Amino acid sequence: MTRATHWVIAALLAIPAALIATKVAVLDYRMSDVLPRTEYHVSLTMTLDGHGRDVKIRTYLPVSDDHQAITAEQQSASELHLGFEAEAGDRLGVWTGGGVGDRAEARFAFSVLSEHVRYQLDPGIAVPASYPESVAPLLRPEESIQVDSPEIATLAHRLGADRGDVRSRLERIYGFTSAMAQRPFKGTTDALTALRLGEASCNGKSRLLVALARHVGIPARLVGGIILGRGSKKTSHQWVEVYVGGHWVPMCPTNHHFAELPASYLVLYRGDKSLFRHTADINFDYRFTITSDRVPSPKAKAAFRVFNVWALFDRLGLPFSLLRTILMLPIGALVVVVFRNVIGMPTFGTFLPALIAAAANETGAGWGLIAVLILVAIVFLARGAVHRLELLHSPTLAILLAAVAVAILGTALAADHVGLHRLTRITMFPLAVMAITAERFYLTLTERGGTSAGKELAGTLVVMLACHAVMGSLALQVMVIGFPEILLWVVAADIYLGRWVGVRLSEYLRFRPVLTPGSPS
Amino acid sequence: MIAAARGLYAVARRWRQVLAHRDELYGINRRNVELVYAENPRRHYPIADDKLLAKQHLAAAGVPTPATLHVCEGLFAIPRVLAALADESQIVIKPANGAGGQGIVVLGERLGPGRWRKAGGDPYTVRELQRHLAEIVLGSHTDMLADQAFVERRIVPEPLFHELWTEGLCDVRVITHGAVPVMAMVRVPTRESDGRANLHQGGLGLAVELAHGRTFRAVHRGQAITHHPESNMPLVGLDLPRWDEVLAVARRAAAAVPLGYLGCDVVVDAVLGPLVLEINARPGLEIQNVHGYGLGRALAAAGCR
Repeated sequence: MTRATHWVIAALLAIPAALIATKVAVLDYRMSDVLPRTEYHVSLTMTLDGHGRDVKIRTYLPVSDDHQAITAEQQSASELHLGFEAEAGDRLGVWTGGGVGDRAEARFAFSVLSEHVRYQLDPGIAVPASYPESVAPLLRPEESIQVDSPEIATLAHRLGADRGDVRSRLERIYGFTSAMAQRPFKGTTDALTALRLGEASCNGKSRLLVALARHVGIPARLVGGIILGRGSKKTSHQWVEVYVGGHWVPMCPTNHHFAELPASYLVLYRGDKSLFRHTADINFDYRFTITSDRVPSPKAKAAFRVFNVWALFDRLGLPFSLLRTILMLPIGALVVVVFRNVIGMPTFGTFLPALIAAAANETGAGWGLIAVLILVAIVFLARGAVHRLELLHSPTLAILLAAVAVAILGTALAADHVGLHRLTRITMFPLAVMAITAERFYLTLTERGGTSAGKELAGTLVVMLACHAVMGSLALQVMVIGFPEILLWVVAADIYLGRWVGVRLSEYLRFRPVLTPGSPS
Repeated sequence: MIAAARGLYAVARRWRQVLAHRDELYGINRRNVELVYAENPRRHYPIADDKLLAKQHLAAAGVPTPATLHVCEGLFAIPRVLAALADESQIVIKPANGAGGQGIVVLGERLGPGRWRKAGGDPYTVRELQRHLAEIVLGSHTDMLADQAFVERRIVPEPLFHELWTEGLCDVRVITHGAVPVMAMVRVPTRESDGRANLHQGGLGLAVELAHGRTFRAVHRGQAITHHPESNMPLVGLDLPRWDEVLAVARRAAAAVPLGYLGCDVVVDAVLGPLVLEINARPGLEIQNVHGYGLGRALAAAGCR
């Protein structure tokens, strides 16, 4: 290797190292900021039988705040019209319709990107003598929150929650309700019932917590919402917010969160209310369907200040997965280089395995494998059929491509027919990659015979799977997305391998007569 | 336990042997970096890849090559070439940019108007010839979009080479470095290789001692052999005819082109003597297996490294 090459490699290694060091040390850049976040897509479906009457449904819809960002709202409904109303800081969705028939449906969908919120409760905050007018009412009793009950007073005293600073009072109240036995109880449990039973569901525990807090002079309120997670659910959830030092601090005695709100909690409304209110006798039903995917964290996005491809992708509405694939492609190419130049594994074309792996990123490695195998089988059969006609090269290839196109659609049709829905994804495989694979396979088959073509096919599949494993590595993706300058390290490795004159692994076998003369080969 | 230790020891010994010989071996990476990229500027590849261009360069330097009878530059030229070949026999049709013997058709005696016998015995018609010329000029045998076809007089092999392969042509591959011959082998087609001088397809390779032109090792499908697997002719210890002239034309061919590392394919015509058939700017590495030692040792012996 020449001196110049050494210097170039050294520079390519040093520059990203310096950039990363600067980001971490000076710009206070942390790996955890770069980790992709989970975005939930929530779809609320409501069904009802209107029997030809007027119908009204009201439910609470989420609002963006410090904890949750709500985007991409969509709604659709048959026979119903959606309007929005504000109700003391909450947002109501009101669906109304006249002469609504049976099996009417309304759908409301949105995306949530939420953050885990933690509060630090300082010791020594005394219970204030008075509260602002907006908060003071939240010390009063309600129908199911019996603040003035002697039993509540006795319990508060027994817990020692009527003495000391705000934090110690809350800790005692929370500790008691949090330790209560869990009961998967449907329907409403008031504070006293929960106290008498000694066990409760989420709303019973939360009401008891609110009653105790209010009793010892700390404003508190119920919070209603759902816990986000993939799947389909009807269960809503209730927890509590207490007013400390001018802030509403969340806590959940059911799932044991004190002064913190997990990212999976979606807030829909505040107060002791029902999530749904609707016209009677309409056979109302509802369901939350939740999916999720990984998206970059806003902080990782903010890191792209100079080479701001992220803003570009956001503007063009392109998916994050595409940007990830593009950024990972150089690493996939390096994997191919290692397999070709260090191991000596033959493949179709130089970077086809990396491209197939990138394409399979959307469909899954298994489907990439199946797509390539179907493709190769079709090319093999079609070539056998066309071979006798002794056509010129390019028209032969054109016929093979036509066969490939028809085969892909045929495979999708057949898969759909027998209910193999995942196999229909073969149509998502980029046609350009398919076409190049078909051409390379045909050329090898024609020029160097079936054995060579088979070896190249096996090599292509092995390298493709290796590329898929490396390009799909979350750790690597996070590194490259957070610190794209790492790609210079990849280039340095490419340069090193570009001047590497070592014996390829496969050549130890090929050149046995030279390497071990005298021994039987 | 003891067997495992013995096995381990054998592996260690074998590995030491591998290490001892690894330095002299040229793998593909080392060949490309140290020989091809270092000695053969890419812009000069066409001189080797295009056989017509190579022949022009060689002819200009006075290197003997088989005479070019006709050149077919495109579809338009096919009728002219067919007319010129109507009464010809003993000719070879080649693509200018073919590799590995692809697209080469050898015609023997003329059987009648528009009919020949191919090398190997099958009849060949003028229609087939017309199609073949069209395929060549449309680039079927090359990576490029178009190519040229050319026609050469068929070589009459010198008797020893004829005896090695009676149906066609054996050639001598001479590896040169800076116009100095470094390694040489005879490539012998067989029935198994379908008449092609390709070692991977069952052709034979005979390693030649440079100084005297005597074969000292023969290899068939990676195995050292002493006799021809099909004719049982002895293959080791053969004295190649007109060896000094073979080396001389290889030297002159290498000096005639701006490529420092070459594979010169030389054939010995019974009448015309050694002729350079073609030159290769990226000669294969299998010659090392035929010799049983690496190119590095050969380069050192020739005073090149």
